[in-house]
Amino acid sequence: MKRIILFLTAILAGVALSAQPTGGVKGTVINRNGRQPVENAKLILMQGAAQIATATSGEDGTFYIPGLDNGMYTLVIEAPEFLETQVQVTVNDGYVKNMFNLSLTGIQRVAEVDDDSFAAFDMDDSGYNDNPTILFGSNDVFNNIAGYNFSSVRFRARGYASESQDVYLAGIKMNDAITGYSPFSLWSGLNEAMRSKETTNGSEVSDFAFGGYNGVTNIFGNATNVRKGLRGSVLTNSTLYRLRLMGSYATGLMDNGWALAFNVSARLGGNDWIDGVYYRSFAYYAAADKVFNDTHKLGFVFFATPGQRGAQNASTQEVYDLTGDNMYNSNWGYQNGKVRNARVRKTNEPIAIVKYDFTPSDKFNASATALYRFGKNGYTALDWYDAQDPRPDYYRNLPSYFYDENPDMNRNNGIKWGWANEIWTHADMYPELTHINWDRFYHVNRIQTDANGKNRSKYIQEERHVDQQDLNLAGTFKYRPFDNLIVTGGLNARINRTEYYKQVADLLGGDYFVNIDNFAERDFAATPYKLQNDLDYYMKHGAAQTLVKGDKYGYDYYAQVRNYGGWVNGKFTAGNFSANLGGRIGYESFWREGLMRKGLFPGLDANGNKLVVDGVTVEPTYENDGSVVTSLGKSKVSSFLTYAGKVGLNYVIGGSQRVYANVGYFNDAPKFNQAFLSPRTRNSLVDDLKTVKTFSSDINWQYSANGINIRTTAYFTTIKDQSKVMSAYDDLQNAFSNFAINGIDQRNMGVELGFKVPTYVVPNLSVQGVVAAGRYIYTSNPTMTQTVDNSAEVVMENVDVPYWKSTLLPDGTVKQHFVPSTPQLAASLGLAYNRNYWFIDADLEYFGESYLDMNPLYRTDTAVNGPDNQITARELEYMTEQERFDPAFLLNFSVGKSWYIHYKYQLGFSLNVKNLLNNKNVKTGGYEQTRMVDNTVSKSQYYRFDSKYFYMAGTNYMLNIYFRF
Amino acid sequence: MKKFLFAIAAVAALVSCQSLKEEWQPVFTFGGNEPAEMKIWTESDLSQYGFTGTFATIKEMKDQYNKKTSYEKKKTSGHTITENVWIKGQVVSDDKSGNLYREIYIQDATGGIDLKLGKSSLYSDYKLGQWIYVKCTDLCIGAYNGMPQLGLEPDNTTTNEYETSYIDSQAVINSHVFRGEYGTPLSPRVVSEAEVTSSLNAGFAGELWGVLVTVKGLTYGNEIFALVYPHGILGHKKENPYNRVFLSDNGTWGINTWGMSKAKYVEYIQAGNFDDAEVGSGATRYGKITTKPIDYKAQMGNEVITAFGPDAYITYKEMMIKYATANYVSHYFKMGSTDIQVRTSGYAKFADKELDSRILGGSAIDITGILTIYDGNAQMSLITAPDDPDNPSVIIN
Repeated sequence: MKRIILFLTAILAGVALSAQPTGGVKGTVINRNGRQPVENAKLILMQGAAQIATATSGEDGTFYIPGLDNGMYTLVIEAPEFLETQVQVTVNDGYVKNMFNLSLTGIQRVAEVDDDSFAAFDMDDSGYNDNPTILFGSNDVFNNIAGYNFSSVRFRARGYASESQDVYLAGIKMNDAITGYSPFSLWSGLNEAMRSKETTNGSEVSDFAFGGYNGVTNIFGNATNVRKGLRGSVLTNSTLYRLRLMGSYATGLMDNGWALAFNVSARLGGNDWIDGVYYRSFAYYAAADKVFNDTHKLGFVFFATPGQRGAQNASTQEVYDLTGDNMYNSNWGYQNGKVRNARVRKTNEPIAIVKYDFTPSDKFNASATALYRFGKNGYTALDWYDAQDPRPDYYRNLPSYFYDENPDMNRNNGIKWGWANEIWTHADMYPELTHINWDRFYHVNRIQTDANGKNRSKYIQEERHVDQQDLNLAGTFKYRPFDNLIVTGGLNARINRTEYYKQVADLLGGDYFVNIDNFAERDFAATPYKLQNDLDYYMKHGAAQTLVKGDKYGYDYYAQVRNYGGWVNGKFTAGNFSANLGGRIGYESFWREGLMRKGLFPGLDANGNKLVVDGVTVEPTYENDGSVVTSLGKSKVSSFLTYAGKVGLNYVIGGSQRVYANVGYFNDAPKFNQAFLSPRTRNSLVDDLKTVKTFSSDINWQYSANGINIRTTAYFTTIKDQSKVMSAYDDLQNAFSNFAINGIDQRNMGVELGFKVPTYVVPNLSVQGVVAAGRYIYTSNPTMTQTVDNSAEVVMENVDVPYWKSTLLPDGTVKQHFVPSTPQLAASLGLAYNRNYWFIDADLEYFGESYLDMNPLYRTDTAVNGPDNQITARELEYMTEQERFDPAFLLNFSVGKSWYIHYKYQLGFSLNVKNLLNNKNVKTGGYEQTRMVDNTVSKSQYYRFDSKYFYMAGTNYMLNIYFRF
Repeated sequence: MKKFLFAIAAVAALVSCQSLKEEWQPVFTFGGNEPAEMKIWTESDLSQYGFTGTFATIKEMKDQYNKKTSYEKKKTSGHTITENVWIKGQVVSDDKSGNLYREIYIQDATGGIDLKLGKSSLYSDYKLGQWIYVKCTDLCIGAYNGMPQLGLEPDNTTTNEYETSYIDSQAVINSHVFRGEYGTPLSPRVVSEAEVTSSLNAGFAGELWGVLVTVKGLTYGNEIFALVYPHGILGHKKENPYNRVFLSDNGTWGINTWGMSKAKYVEYIQAGNFDDAEVGSGATRYGKITTKPIDYKAQMGNEVITAFGPDAYITYKEMMIKYATANYVSHYFKMGSTDIQVRTSGYAKFADKELDSRILGGSAIDITGILTIYDGNAQMSLITAPDDPDNPSVIIN
């Protein structure tokens, strides 16, 4: 039988050879991530070991290899920054085989960097922001390498704050309306659904948004852009959660014009490094697109990521040294043998999107999107009334509180030092003292029995809510009136109402809690109405409200934000040269709307008259402008005209090189969270709020040919008139204080280099690396206003912070202060091997010039001069110094492989091992505590509280196994 | 390929095993799982901490004070008990009203003792009437102005004002102070003037110190005592007379509240109540608080003026407002011919309660509280508010 078949085959082959071959292969090479065309992909057609033909994909990703005989071929597709891919092609009957879309997978990355790549840092209301930038763009050699390798140190691109990174979803800007923070957590766990995206760097303008100076990322999020087929993956890692299960299914665009997509996932479990950090998060996504015809398309998306996530807390170096563990987390303790974290983020914020695309011609298209975000965003914490501070690493529990070699500190008890030292150096033996003692909370609460036989909880777990109702509308268009001109633009509106409140999450064994202000009671115990968090309730019922689980208490107010704007950009092309010019204008306003009348700031009654409480007329307090300080009702509206302009120039040299430059100026409104002195207690606004003015410029050179990819950039940015509000307990005031800082200026300049170059010695082996060298410094001395929660009185009003930008020491040395929380020098050098569906990467990294976040209090004359108001060199240097973290080397390794099974299924894995050198001494963030040691002996100088830090995990891994068909 | 698949499966299995072992550490994710009741210590449980079955009385324990070594005397320290001494007593005080701070008093048939635990809000953990077992070994029995206290050895400073220090360390508390069963709160002991006088005469050994008592028939003495510190940051100690103002020897200074909260203190200052008060202590007197430190430069010296910094140029009165804090007040009462001070902290929740006009008018009252000795004087601390609806500490006859 075999012989017959061979014979017939030979005959048929002979017939075929006698004729001119008419067969061929064609198709489009696309990026699996975003499904965008891949230009300049190299296609090599093999038959057995013989190379038959080669081709290169065009600008639109298409290719065509004509003149093929009938037969079976192997088509190898190579493109820079993509995994080499092979597909089998059979040419029959002389026809041209249309392969349609051949998708390529970006190389190297185990999983894209996303919100899950970062531990949730509990900044404990310090006012500091430790959010990193998340770099995307598998087609950008710098972002591709730095985005993943630098994520472990919470790298911020170009030293910019994370909120400067504009993140869009389906054309809607998703940065938080209140804080500006990038909102990746809203869709973390939906990697498949949100994989398709487009990005720009720096000040570049994109088609869908004007953007700022720190890049724009637009996640498509619609059904059509989800990878077609059924996929499943199992992922385990050792730093955040143990297990991620994910499944997705997408139909692609069906003949009936519909495309459907679904994605679900679960992230579960703890990790190797940080006790108490765990995930119990789920995610779901459903989307449908309906293409009516070439002109009209409608899309619907609905998703959410309900779940909870335990947070990591920072501690002082003393605690880390005593426990011998830089990953010590003070947020948790055992409850019946289970790890219970006091700080758990509990979220369920669904998002619904409707998007309409209108494409009447090749020259014009437009879209309109409506997006609505709602739901709950809670963050638990311990709260206590008239009870001992429950935090295990509270400074009064540490050895240093009992003995310090410095006689000024007046800490001289060696016995107590010994006991505390014993506990902390044997932390595992004393879990009830070195971790949160949940059992004690229950016990205490169970024995606070009142006259009615009910137990009044002294300790509870509260849940601080930031619940957003966020309606966004956006319309964009793209118009090509001439072949060499493209005009893009858009309009956007945002109506955001965010409710801030806290509620009782767990009474911890008690029956009720009482709605009074613990801090106020210290000063006004004899004036019961002043203690009331809800004075109206007190006036109505004659007693403070008793609370049960789920009740709101403490504070309750709306942050109301309105943004309206429009933008337009024109891109002109002439040969190899192109230029763009664009502008944006907007109007932003916000105000606070108090929902609870607080006893400390009751204001006036509904008729504008003074309140009478307990038979006493309450004299109101007044703002500087004479208005009444109040906690209830609407504050003044702060409004700002915003605008921005950008110019970009771009020149392509010989098809493989590009030189381009961008310049932009941005006048942006401050955010709500920077505008109110103490939003939890009253409507008082920071005086003289200003817009933030940013000038940014960059010049870039890019080379891409013959497997070589290089991008280098130089940038220069100034940011002026930034504001910040921080809160902390002030020992000098014996009160919870708020520090409003105005007029922070900074300058960020530096260079970026990313490269990947074949070794030419070993096939498929490349050298790759990135360098990010910057100098991010403060250039102004801001002013600071200090207030306390218990009083409308201003403690310090617009005092200078003269040692913020630098310190001039008596010997003439100037100690510059730096923009913190990111290495200003980061470099990576490694090898990448990529062949036959294998990839292997090894990278050595260096991080240096990273600084600790500063608090303004230590840089005031008050702090530096000390109680005696006499400045000394010692005080000056000690109090104003900014800590620089030690530099660090890290070694990372990645390997991955996928197999096609029966040309239909794909099975693959990727394993990434980070920090192979097991360096456990790399600080990734932290902050200075905004408080000074009181009760010292020396009355000539103040002393700082110890700073708190976060550290990077030691050797850790992530293993992903996936199956697709 | 099979090898690779096998390798992946092996890695996955390893990871899973590791997960089962450690990574799936049980995590509390809200709801249920409440802990059991906390252990109530009984005498039989204490052997693991060295209890041999015999308790000393509180009086016997206090007598250990007489065993002070020469080293302890030189160091101005109480006596650190080295023997295996255990006492037990019932809690007779709490800090719920805020009038006591960081201490509890326990009492047995022989007397009471001030247990300087060094933690705030102790009433959360220690209930009135609850039995407390104390392992006194390594604790220090000392006196503060004659008042017996049990704590830890004092700090290693050359200028100790206290013979004991607060225990502070929870580990020490956990290994020395054991909470037993909840008993019935003790009734106050009604004491006569003779008993008070007898204890005063006995000094440290007086049997009434630290005991919950009711003294009857007191009448108001129209005199108060308070010591305030004008500058909030400069030292408060005896060697800093430039930062001390005694409110004494001048009647009541217009103070008609049991104590002074921060707000009430400011109110008194602003009303001019203390304008005649002098800065200084003992024989060192500078002058009235309406004057600035700089005006006392000749007496105080440059160093002190420098220490005041810019505050040297404001009056003491202004300084007192600037650094205002809550302050205690001791009201004098007469028990026959014996003075009894009723001392109320400015942090007490009833600090700003005014003395009833009948008290000021000379009505006799009965007062219940902890009796202590201070510099040879009898002093009382109220546990509850004078007019507490459930348990008033002052009864006007």
